[in-house]
Amino acid sequence: MPHSRTGSQASLLSYLRPYVRIYARPFLLAVLALSVEAACDLLQPTIMSRVIDVGVAGRNLHVVFSLGGLMLLVTAVGACAASARNILSNRVSQSLGAQLRGTLYSKVQSFTFEELDSFDAASIVTRLTNDVTQVQTFVNGTMRIFVKAPLVAVGGIVMATLLNARMAPVLFIVVPVVAVLIVLNVRTGYPFFRKIQAALDRVNGVIREYLAGVRVVKAFNRFDYETGRFASANRELADTTTSVMRVMSVFSPAISLTVNLGIVAVLWIGGVRVSRGGMRLGQVVAFVNYMTQILGSLMMISFIFTIFARARASAERIGEVMLLTPPPRPKRRVAADGSSASSPAAVPPRRDGGMSLRFEKLSFAYGGSGEYVLRNIDFSCGAGETLGVIGSTGSGKTSLVNLIPRFYDAAEGRVLVDDADVVGLDPSALRSRIALVPQKTVLFSGTILDNIRWGKEDASMEEVEAAAAAAQAHEFIAAFPEGYLTQLGQGGVNLSGGQKQRVAIARAIVRRPDLLILDDSTSAVDAVTEASIRRSLRSLKSRMTTIVVAQRISSVREADRILVLDDGEMVGCAAHDELMESCEVYRDIYRSQIGGGREDHG
Amino acid sequence: MAERRGEVPGPVPALGGSGMGGGRGPGGGARWLQGGAKAKDAAGTLRRLWRYFGPERRILLVVTVLVAADGCFVLLAPWLIGRSIDAMTGTVNFGALGAAAAALLASYLMDAAVNIGQLRLMAGASQRIVYGLRRALFDKLQRLPVAFFDGRSHGDLMSRLANDIDNISGTISQSTTQLMSTGITITGSLVMMLVLSPPLTLAALVTLPLVFLLTRTISRRTRVLFKEQQVILGSLNGHIEESISGIHVVKAFGREEASIARFAELNARLRDVGTKAQIWSGFIMPIMNVINNVGFAAVALAGGILAVRGMVTVGVIASFLSYSRQFVRPLNDLANIYNTLQTAVAGAERVFEIMDEAEEEPDEADAIDLDRPRGEVRFEGVGFGYRADVLVLKDIGFDAPAGSATALVGPTGAGKTTIVNLLARFYDPTAGRILIDGVDIRLYRRDSLRRCFGIVLQDTYLFSGSIRDNILYGNPDADESEMVRAAKMANADHFIRRLPRGYDSPLTESGTNLSEGQRQLLAIARAILTDPAILILDEATSSVDTRTELHIQEAILALMEGRTSFIIAHRLSTIRDADRIMVIDGGRIVEAGDHESLVAAGGVYARMYASQTGRST
Repeated sequence: MPHSRTGSQASLLSYLRPYVRIYARPFLLAVLALSVEAACDLLQPTIMSRVIDVGVAGRNLHVVFSLGGLMLLVTAVGACAASARNILSNRVSQSLGAQLRGTLYSKVQSFTFEELDSFDAASIVTRLTNDVTQVQTFVNGTMRIFVKAPLVAVGGIVMATLLNARMAPVLFIVVPVVAVLIVLNVRTGYPFFRKIQAALDRVNGVIREYLAGVRVVKAFNRFDYETGRFASANRELADTTTSVMRVMSVFSPAISLTVNLGIVAVLWIGGVRVSRGGMRLGQVVAFVNYMTQILGSLMMISFIFTIFARARASAERIGEVMLLTPPPRPKRRVAADGSSASSPAAVPPRRDGGMSLRFEKLSFAYGGSGEYVLRNIDFSCGAGETLGVIGSTGSGKTSLVNLIPRFYDAAEGRVLVDDADVVGLDPSALRSRIALVPQKTVLFSGTILDNIRWGKEDASMEEVEAAAAAAQAHEFIAAFPEGYLTQLGQGGVNLSGGQKQRVAIARAIVRRPDLLILDDSTSAVDAVTEASIRRSLRSLKSRMTTIVVAQRISSVREADRILVLDDGEMVGCAAHDELMESCEVYRDIYRSQIGGGREDHG
Repeated sequence: MAERRGEVPGPVPALGGSGMGGGRGPGGGARWLQGGAKAKDAAGTLRRLWRYFGPERRILLVVTVLVAADGCFVLLAPWLIGRSIDAMTGTVNFGALGAAAAALLASYLMDAAVNIGQLRLMAGASQRIVYGLRRALFDKLQRLPVAFFDGRSHGDLMSRLANDIDNISGTISQSTTQLMSTGITITGSLVMMLVLSPPLTLAALVTLPLVFLLTRTISRRTRVLFKEQQVILGSLNGHIEESISGIHVVKAFGREEASIARFAELNARLRDVGTKAQIWSGFIMPIMNVINNVGFAAVALAGGILAVRGMVTVGVIASFLSYSRQFVRPLNDLANIYNTLQTAVAGAERVFEIMDEAEEEPDEADAIDLDRPRGEVRFEGVGFGYRADVLVLKDIGFDAPAGSATALVGPTGAGKTTIVNLLARFYDPTAGRILIDGVDIRLYRRDSLRRCFGIVLQDTYLFSGSIRDNILYGNPDADESEMVRAAKMANADHFIRRLPRGYDSPLTESGTNLSEGQRQLLAIARAILTDPAILILDEATSSVDTRTELHIQEAILALMEGRTSFIIAHRLSTIRDADRIMVIDGGRIVEAGDHESLVAAGGVYARMYASQTGRST
């Protein structure tokens, strides 16, 4: 995972730039409205001081009335500005959040398998939900009050100074102290927030694993262990949150105390000045009012920074996904015909007879680990042929088929489909001609019909039923009371392992691919059913190439060609009879299955 | 004049708390959402939540006292400021001014101290509450039957454990203190205002009915919108969880576009409803501000008139203005608190929904320990269906003597795995009974029953952690040499040693580092290490190549010595040596006997054997 994390923290946020461009205008408009709102708020104490000093002190009711009216007018203007700002800010933050989430999601969808391998699924989910929300909350907050707070603070200081410059020194002491407190607040908070989000990832991770492996937990009676694991993740989250809240608990009372001490000072100094006639009573009241406003804004600013720290932690976590740079790719070789592979060529058109396939001196290692799982693989397979792949556990069978749809790209050598290097092909166009049934069955919630149509959205009911029949699934599906409309639970648990595999095969067949890859996908299907599946696939043979990865000789013996892998190397590639003659490993496998082989194994 | 509290929530934002509100919300199936989003019995739910606060209730009580004290200081300040102002009216009375200023100073200091104390206490208490709630929910999950998990969206459950609980704690801990301080401030301000000047109080309260009317109108709209927002959020989270978990398949089928389209649709709906909800609730503040200022102006006006007539002092007006602000502002807060409480209650209900699920039937009070089991297994007329209308097993009866090996074969979906599910009491049979060592398994304590099994399942399920952790999962007390021996028996040792970090190599969720077959070998090693009386291998070697399987076979054969074993396999080579082979089809035992006799009988088994070996019958 570490190989993919990029650069400095500033660059982790660079993905936000386009958003700044898009939303700058409405954002600035909102801030403008906010400024009007703030100005109106700031005028209030001054008007009030005039009510007291001119109206009340001068016993002039007319002034009291007209100033009261002015106050209402100012308020009304402020309210209009606030309403405009409210609409703008919510539009911007919600759209931005949605767009950010959408982009992030698309980004994840566009990841190569290698890139996906560098994140936990749980972590991606947290980033898509919780982290985006944190950023959204911050943006909304910025336009709601965060910008207003500094405006009111600065404005309050200016107004107060204008009101009575001699009082200003109080502010010159109070404000820097508060500033220091705010800086300290951010400095302490930020590292905690990253830890909190990471702890949240872990809590999610333990829950996910528990849910997926609940049978194993129960079978092994490992409740205590699971509880312990969960408790430690849970405890860490709680402890981190508690410590950040504890540390932060000092700051807001401290800020408020600082300003309040300023108020006491203003009152005392005000008393002295009033007695000397240097200041009027109303001005003291107004000054105190401004101090209160300044206090409110300073508290808000400190709060903003807290949220900012949190949002920044989240924004960076999003950035890690957005800016993921894949591990250095093997240098692209220039294709054999001299054409560079930099611009994806169109995928060769669909051929009715299937897809031809060739591996040329291919070696492959995962994620730059340097540890080759495939070495010097070289074979070809004609269109419409069936290729069997057999070999021991961990010999590289799955890795081999994963190279064809470009889930991974090989470091050395080439994979050619219909004589074109796959590296030059657009993966999605390439994959549209291929259907893969993975070793581990993944079905989605929804009906069986939905799941089969997943292979081809516009498949007619006839096509779906035909595919299910070919996968030997029609019969059991039809036996359900709701037939094809039977709902599957999470991951399709109410089907047996073999039934799930057959639905997955139907999903692949309905696609009418040029190349069908069955990656050990009948392991939970019984032999008789599997034989029937093989028969129906043979009848489709004329229109597609099939690769069957299998453990059982019986699954591949009728294949046109069987590729035998041993520890990442190709030790044979021929038809069954020929391999029985020439390939020791194959004979071993055969003996181990068909009988009599146990004694000479080893 | 210290008007804060209301606008400045603690470190955890209550602000825009409803955006994606901590991501609360159910995942996946809309089926469970309906119940979740509605606050059916808010009072009842809150009462129940209160009980979960447990020992923290005492701390909350202390916090209440502190908040009340804080409220008093907050109330005292404007009055003292008023006194200070009055001391300056006419000729400045420095004695009175000094006294008032000193009192103000003291009250501010006390206030800061009380606040720090309250925040710190609350930080600990609220996190302990979350911790406890999460733990309680996780413990509950451990007691739920497998059937529960089979029918639930994982995204939904995760969301409840992580987000809903977070939401509850955040909101409750903040809203309770807010509610308390709000209440104190409102009553206190009202009292102070009445004491200062009843006529001015009347002027200040002119706007009160308006406040109520507006809050009610707006929050009625927003409640509906927020609820809708949660439902959409739930589906969105469900979609995220599912499509990220299955992303390899999504990509293999080139379904990224479709997946993104679905996401975009939900995302857009969330944005639209969210925007509406936020805008409506956002209107409360500016409108309140207008009303506030109208009240402010009214007080200024009335105060001006009264002061001109000499009925109140300027100091009283100054104090009064602060109090009237303090009085109205918390009313805004109440609207906010109401909203957040509402979402917290909805979250709590989603949590309690799980808490109320029927647990695995508890062990009988007189349940016995299955100690030193011999391993005799007997099924008597066992019938079972996951759904009442679809029977998976019908009238299954057989005997497996201690130490015998029984193989279960048959087409997929015939009910083989179900037999294992019943034996391990993941499910209980709907008819008949299962006996181990002559006693109905329902009479054993579950943990002692399961301890006598070593199970290797179709799905391997390794956990994140090192390879060592995973092998030791079956028996954490085993020592290094025992662990290595188990790995060797499972034929896993050699590939583990080839990994860069050997037994300490971490297993990742995406797990590119191990093939499916290698994972199965680890699962087998894990089972070997438990040294069980009854061994269950459910397609344990389906992803292992046959030569490796031969190796393991030897190990398994050795392991089977002296243990009762059940083997489910499609590869008949695996099961040829079993003492008895039972062919299950359509939920019934259709044939039983050893390999030779079954082949000779020329029935289902003989046909299966022929199709697999390629030999014609």
